[in-house]
Amino acid sequence: MYQLKGVDKYWNPVLETLPREKIKALQFKKFKRIVEWGYEKSKLYRSLYDKAGFEPGDLKKFEDIRKVPTLQKEDYREAQAKEPWPYGDSLCVPLEEVTEYHQTSGTTGQPVYQPDTWQDWEWWNESWAYILFSQGFRNTDRVFIPFGYNVFVAYWAGHYACEKMSCEVVPGGILNTEERLLKMKELRANALMATPTYVLHLAETCRNKLNMDASELGIEKILCAGEPGALVPATKKRMEEAWNAKVYDHVGATEIGAWSYECTSQPGGMHVNEAYFLVELVDLETNEPIEEINKPGRIIITAFDRMAQPCIRFDSKDVSMWGEDCECGRTFRLLKGGVHGRTDHITKIKGVLFSPISVEEVVRGIPELGDEYELIVSKRGDADHLTLKVELVPEASNKEDDVKQELVRQLRLKTNLAYQIEFHPFDSLPRYQVKARRFKDTR
Amino acid sequence: MATKETTDLQVLVDLKGMDKTIQDIKQKAQHLIEISGGMQCVDRNVERILTSVKMLELNISDVVEFLD
Repeated sequence: MYQLKGVDKYWNPVLETLPREKIKALQFKKFKRIVEWGYEKSKLYRSLYDKAGFEPGDLKKFEDIRKVPTLQKEDYREAQAKEPWPYGDSLCVPLEEVTEYHQTSGTTGQPVYQPDTWQDWEWWNESWAYILFSQGFRNTDRVFIPFGYNVFVAYWAGHYACEKMSCEVVPGGILNTEERLLKMKELRANALMATPTYVLHLAETCRNKLNMDASELGIEKILCAGEPGALVPATKKRMEEAWNAKVYDHVGATEIGAWSYECTSQPGGMHVNEAYFLVELVDLETNEPIEEINKPGRIIITAFDRMAQPCIRFDSKDVSMWGEDCECGRTFRLLKGGVHGRTDHITKIKGVLFSPISVEEVVRGIPELGDEYELIVSKRGDADHLTLKVELVPEASNKEDDVKQELVRQLRLKTNLAYQIEFHPFDSLPRYQVKARRFKDTR
Repeated sequence: MATKETTDLQVLVDLKGMDKTIQDIKQKAQHLIEISGGMQCVDRNVERILTSVKMLELNISDVVEFLD
């Protein structure tokens, strides 16, 4: 007999509290299984491994995982240029077994097409159930999802995971922002899922267009995904105050799955679902594995149970660091601060290593500034030049000089760089409904 | 609509017995397909049962061998 603790606290009290050495043993078993599957069924992986002189039999111990070549997003794109359209050499099952289509946003180039079988799709939903349960979603919740229900995976699996958990789920698809707010109010929804950008935009619209306060709508918890923000302390604070609700982060990706979640302890980081995924952190320059806490690294990730288009040692380009254990009792490791950014966004400006997310923390931490901002890096002669566009909230419209002084001071402290600050009229900078594009590097 | 307070509720479960039941369900579902004569109303619904069984395998069966 096995003694379970916290059956009403964890979606899966067996896996989420498994001792570390057993998690590792389970991960190695599952890693070997998916590598064998990819090698046998996928021309993409077979070709990648053959070129590297690797075969699944080389996996004798956990550390051998590093012998497996990493996969780049470009590898998917090249493989998908072949037949059968549109998945080509990356497909591991007969085309007739594919039941779900989604695609990446194309932010970094040609979108990657994502096929899933019904089993894969069920696995997506199961992964989301881990997330939602850890964030306190239960069968008594009425969850509003203000999402466009389109080719992007976004909250699709969140929707079906809610159904699986017997939450009542309200699809806020084609409604505009004001209609969505009114529907939330009418139905007394108590939970919400959206990007941080849209969570703030909803609150702003509520205040400015409907003359209502989002904090009075009765929303108790908000799941954020799609972009960093819910783990940027100043942004989380803004959202929680605007809605009088708890805000939790989650990171997933179309070609990977729903692989991490912040729990109700709000430990300043996210758990990796280590029963379903292997996350490796590697040094940004040397590619050496990182096991210690507080050291930034690039995330290499494997989804153990995704079959139609496996994701094995995928170079996500995301940057994070391991954190300390969480008080919630889960043994799944924490990524401190969640995903800090992407390696292709972390850049050198005037010789200084720079991450745009640090600017967000400053802007959102100054109450006289609105939620929106835009950051542009350009060249002036040979020198890098930073322009930060911000808005003053209407009630602080006469405080431009004071705010500018404070902004410059905090930015200098936080990033060690100087900025040209531009104030724009309130509500004039672009508003985004899904993923915001506030950082532009034009060099 | 308030979220139920969580506690550290403890229970004893027979995970090996659960795994055996999961395998029994899988076998019975597969048998249904064998005897369906190709009826889509059976086969498609059994596929869904088998998918749920797979989630039970991921959640329970996969880990049983590592537990004391």
